[in-house]
Amino acid sequence: MTDTNTTNENETQDYRSNSLGRLTMRRIFRQRSAVIGGTILIFLILVAIFAPAIAPYSPEEVLIGKEDVSKREGPCIHLLGCDEEKPQHILGVDGNVRDQFSRLVYGTRYSLYIGFTSVGFAIIVGTILGAIAGYASSWPDNLIMRFMDVLLAFPSLLLAIAIVTVLGRGLQNALLAIAIVSIPVYARVVRASVLSVKEQEFVAASRALGGSHFHILFRRILPNAISPLIVQGTLGIASAILSAAALSFLGLGAQPPTPEWGTMLGSERNQVFSAPHLVFFPGLAIMLTVLAFNLLGDGLRDAIDPRLK
Amino acid sequence: MKRKNLFILLTIVAAMLLLAACGGGGGKAVVERAYDEIKYDKPMSVVAPNCDYGGKIKSIEATDEFTVKFTMCKPDPAFPAKAAFTPFGIYPQEWLKAYANAENQETLLSAPVGTGPFYLENWARGDSITMKKYDGYWGDKPAYGTLVFRWATEGAARLLELQAGTVDQITNLSPDDFDTVKNDSNLKFLPVENPNILYLGMTNTFKPFDDVRVRQAIAMGIDRQRIADNFYPDGSEAASHFTPCSIANGCAGEDWYAFDPAAAKALLAEAGYPDGFQTSIFYRDVFRGYLPEPGLVAVELQTQLRDNLGIEAEVVVMESGEFIDECSNGRCDGFYLLGWGADYPHITNFLDYHFGSTNPQFGNPFPEIYGPLEKASQIGDPAAAEALYVEANNAIRELVPTVPLVHGASAAAALASVENAHVRPFGAPIFAKVNPGKDTMIFMQNAEPISLFCADETDGESLAPCEQIVEPLLSYAIDSGEVLPGLATECTPNADSTVWTCKLRQGVTFHDGTKLDANDVVVSWAAGIDASNPYHIGNTGAFEYYSYLWDGLMNAGE
Repeated sequence: MTDTNTTNENETQDYRSNSLGRLTMRRIFRQRSAVIGGTILIFLILVAIFAPAIAPYSPEEVLIGKEDVSKREGPCIHLLGCDEEKPQHILGVDGNVRDQFSRLVYGTRYSLYIGFTSVGFAIIVGTILGAIAGYASSWPDNLIMRFMDVLLAFPSLLLAIAIVTVLGRGLQNALLAIAIVSIPVYARVVRASVLSVKEQEFVAASRALGGSHFHILFRRILPNAISPLIVQGTLGIASAILSAAALSFLGLGAQPPTPEWGTMLGSERNQVFSAPHLVFFPGLAIMLTVLAFNLLGDGLRDAIDPRLK
Repeated sequence: MKRKNLFILLTIVAAMLLLAACGGGGGKAVVERAYDEIKYDKPMSVVAPNCDYGGKIKSIEATDEFTVKFTMCKPDPAFPAKAAFTPFGIYPQEWLKAYANAENQETLLSAPVGTGPFYLENWARGDSITMKKYDGYWGDKPAYGTLVFRWATEGAARLLELQAGTVDQITNLSPDDFDTVKNDSNLKFLPVENPNILYLGMTNTFKPFDDVRVRQAIAMGIDRQRIADNFYPDGSEAASHFTPCSIANGCAGEDWYAFDPAAAKALLAEAGYPDGFQTSIFYRDVFRGYLPEPGLVAVELQTQLRDNLGIEAEVVVMESGEFIDECSNGRCDGFYLLGWGADYPHITNFLDYHFGSTNPQFGNPFPEIYGPLEKASQIGDPAAAEALYVEANNAIRELVPTVPLVHGASAAAALASVENAHVRPFGAPIFAKVNPGKDTMIFMQNAEPISLFCADETDGESLAPCEQIVEPLLSYAIDSGEVLPGLATECTPNADSTVWTCKLRQGVTFHDGTKLDANDVVVSWAAGIDASNPYHIGNTGAFEYYSYLWDGLMNAGE
């Protein structure tokens, strides 16, 4: 942030010819971490979309009797000198003799799906609750926010485990648990921005013009309070993916044979020493995805969060 | 001056020798007790009102201070093999009197007193069990002072501890680690010879498992050889019968169905499920010799059921205790993956336990199976019983209460420096016979014991520490299923093996200093076998081995 002056100059220069959206995009592109995070994320999204084309095998296909491989065999890459006679498995095969690379590729779908849907759900519910609390003040505010405080008082993973135990294990329930656990974070963020925005002149103007509460809250206040939410949401996706992987690792999330990264890690956790590739690659994939969202989130915050200006 | 010093030194040494001699003479209590010793005055006994309760034992009587007579309702040639099993260990009657009640249940379950080579010093819950050498032991005393039991669920963690030298012996090596141990000159590879079976259980009270055609289709539709080849170490085999062939009459009768997915599919269609059905596969994530990698085998079965029969099964991992409780009581609606490692070398341990008339684990028991089994269990000569076991095994094949899958090979490992490290085909290692070359031996098993009152426990993790502390009347050899003398020097049958007379070893003292006599044996057995006995209090009160191995408890009522 050493060149704040230049940034401001540029902004003033381009002010007339640019919409707010383009301006924001430009600011984001100036953040190196956002660009790196975004690039990785786009790569992951492409992998998820084109998984069937990229993966050489079906993720649940057991290769016993079909190919000459044995369980937990290490990577075999022809280019790197692996015997041409042997079938190529660039990340090796897992304990049930399935192609690890294919499973990892399909796993991208689950991780992104988990990240986007759980955070999406949490944002929608959190925004509504936070907006009502911030706008209405008095007792609805107290009621909603104290309930959020109660949710926040529990360690989030522990609460998620408790919810899954009640609802029953499985990917959908894990998703729901993670979403519920992350609602308070968004509710707080939205409430805080609503509180600061609602005292501004344009809101007062809108009220003077006879705008309904609904109109004022959702058309005037919220659009102007949304940017911290975007930042928080991007960072939240990272922690949602991590929590989902943790739940799956514990056997509460995605169930076998789903190629979910946490499940893959969990089922081979005993093989850290005898077959490290089965633990290393899913772990690396989780790390990369979480890193991408964190970088992007940090970059977005630097670029658009008004509190940092 | 020097001479005086020497004299003092000699006096001290002499005094120490004298003390040592007295101490080694036995009879010293090493465990504090809050009760008085009861001297043997009149013989005690436990007698069933009649034999109608269906069990094997009519009465257990002390005939003199060192003789106990077991009278059977029906001939029981397997008596010695069963009586050598840890749950039938002998406790001091004074101890049972003091603690076998509801108020003192905690002591009963956690602080056993026996005659074994080690006495319990401390059970630090969640961490370890420490035992000390019992100097008053009647047999060969251990070469070291302290025996510690620890536990770790993960195979990798156990091996890591062994490699680091922080433990001296571990159980249940992961199959993938076999070569690591064999190639490490600091470690000793110990193959386990315990006969076992992994089976796919079904409960015939649930749909669609109530249809024998469905069960037969599953019996044919699973490629068991593929499981043995891919998920088990060398030396494992697809099961041809429920009982392994190493046990007399285990392989009597026809071999199991050959893998035939087409015939299986046709049979399933005939039963009304041409497209399969939806169900679950329950299992527990616990390492056993018969199931070294539960998760992998469960997923493999899931794949095979889907590919071969169109059955969509969800894999459900359950907590171990809950799993055993639910599935062995016939409450698991779906398949369940469970197995059995032999407790004693007799076919009754496999067949009578699983297919007996009182066991609900596969749903309603089949008279076609338990009929011949009950007759066969009364015949001592294996050759004479063969025809009945052929009948029973063929009935199991025909009715498919369960699908026997694999007889698994497994192994343990110890530090190379541990002398005489061993695993026994039956029961836990006898650590009194091992020499770690230092004063403490640390053994690491899979899990923490549930309790240390083993009359009412069934799992290996509880029985292993019990075996060091409490002794039954007889014992098993280190390297085979041969029955050796224990607290009894001999147990002899009458002509038709309906009466077994056991002569007790004399001069044996318990860890609490009380002396072993025939009444201790009667009271210990009565606490287990007689449901109306005031001491019939254990962990769950089920006393499963008393119930299953002797065909039911006396005075159980309805």
